[in-house]
Amino acid sequence: MTWRDFRPTRYRKYLIPTLAVTLLSLGAARVCGVSLQKLQEGLVTSGLFIARMFPPDWQAFPEMLEPAFDSVVIAFLGTAFGTLMAMTFALLAANTIAAPWIRNTSRFLIGLERSLPELVILLLLVAAFGLGATPAILTLAIGCVGMMGKLLADVIEEIDPVTIESMQSVGANKMQVIIFGVWPQILPSLISFALFRFEVNLRLSVVLGAVGAGGIGYELDYAFNTLAYHRALTALLVILVLVFATERLSRGLREKIKVGDPLK
Amino acid sequence: MLEVRNLTKSLPNGRRLLDGISFTVERGEFVGILGASGAGKTLTLRCLNGLLRPDAGSVFVRDEQDIAHDICKIRKRQLRHMREKIGVIFQGYHLVKRLSALENVLIGRLGQISTLRSILYGFTDDEANQALLALAQVKMDHLAGTRTGSLSGGEMQRVAIARAIFQQPTLLLADEPISNLDPSNAKVIMKLIKPLSEQVPVVGVFHQPDMTAKYCTRVIAIKQGKVIYDGDPKLSDQLLAEIYGEELTVIENKILVKQGESVAS
Repeated sequence: MTWRDFRPTRYRKYLIPTLAVTLLSLGAARVCGVSLQKLQEGLVTSGLFIARMFPPDWQAFPEMLEPAFDSVVIAFLGTAFGTLMAMTFALLAANTIAAPWIRNTSRFLIGLERSLPELVILLLLVAAFGLGATPAILTLAIGCVGMMGKLLADVIEEIDPVTIESMQSVGANKMQVIIFGVWPQILPSLISFALFRFEVNLRLSVVLGAVGAGGIGYELDYAFNTLAYHRALTALLVILVLVFATERLSRGLREKIKVGDPLK
Repeated sequence: MLEVRNLTKSLPNGRRLLDGISFTVERGEFVGILGASGAGKTLTLRCLNGLLRPDAGSVFVRDEQDIAHDICKIRKRQLRHMREKIGVIFQGYHLVKRLSALENVLIGRLGQISTLRSILYGFTDDEANQALLALAQVKMDHLAGTRTGSLSGGEMQRVAIARAIFQQPTLLLADEPISNLDPSNAKVIMKLIKPLSEQVPVVGVFHQPDMTAKYCTRVIAIKQGKVIYDGDPKLSDQLLAEIYGEELTVIENKILVKQGESVAS
């Protein structure tokens, strides 16, 4: 190693991107009035705030169980309906199954859903159904279509077309091809996607709860609004445990599917 | 019985892929179709069960009532009905990999059961037993419960034959059934297909003139979409050279590249 190894010309390719990103960040900070001083103040305040939340209000813990269960149920129902919907859209979006115009329509709808944030969908549905669990479940279900629909459609398209052709050549109709040729091939992926989506949906159900869908998210929001900080911390801890447990469970199950499948 | 009349198929740019292919196959015949890559062998075979519609020409296949139907002209629904009795063994691995060997054999009769039944319960125990017998016929019954994805190439092709047997076809087609197999496995497969030709006409596409000479009862050679030979399965070296182009030397029904490097048997 010599000094020549550190000559400035070697770093030239990083110079312009670094400068550009720095300038952009500084400009953006100026536009929305963010400063290091404000950040520092905020950190101190939030530290104090968290300290004020301690200790958690264990008395409130039993009251949290039912809303927590509600959140899980909302996430579960949302995922179940969503998987069904995603499955339908995926079948219609696969070029090996559907005619080109059906495929394009379905792909378009899947893409459209992906571009809509769940919160926007919820707001639209709340306008139609009013507050409560129903719009939340529907939101989560529709939310599944964008991601799962796309992934499943790709999995279906990856099935060897000869496999499908060989079934058609014994006189099988489309439904039979789907039941015997497509379904068994995509099942492991379907379960894996659904488990992953359940994780996502549980977190989402907490957020949606705060916006009026009920469940543990609503408890948290309510506690903050009534300045019951100890109670809020309890809700927060319950959410943390819930999300963590779901993640572990889902990851464990997904690993198991992978291990149990010699072909993947 | 199978009767092919004047099959013609062209690309949109006018290039002729099939140019008036005609032949008939009777029960008891095991016909091997030979030809260089791109000659139109597989295309011809795909016309025989309606996977491809030719521009002109007819393919007559007889149903159970011994009425001849033109596969190229019938409607989709009727085509599905005709396909119930046309067995096809495809090139390579066309089985549903995550289903067991037995389930893959049962698929052979999918066209013969109603959609509602396939949703509700699928196949009966009786049918499963028959499928097991078909597997036993190709000596695969000991692997009936194994997922086909974990079988070897030769084993998969045997399951494919069992599917065709279980289907009880009136016509059996085979599209390069031994292309992906080693010589000894290829022999096993040919030995399994051969006896089936005693009950139904069998038409297969092959790349191995030595195999067709040994097992087929008749060979049809296709070159540039035309039948250039139809007759005895043992072909002269001269004829083989003509089928596969002049760049090849042929020794005892095996094709050698002129430089003597790679050997295709």
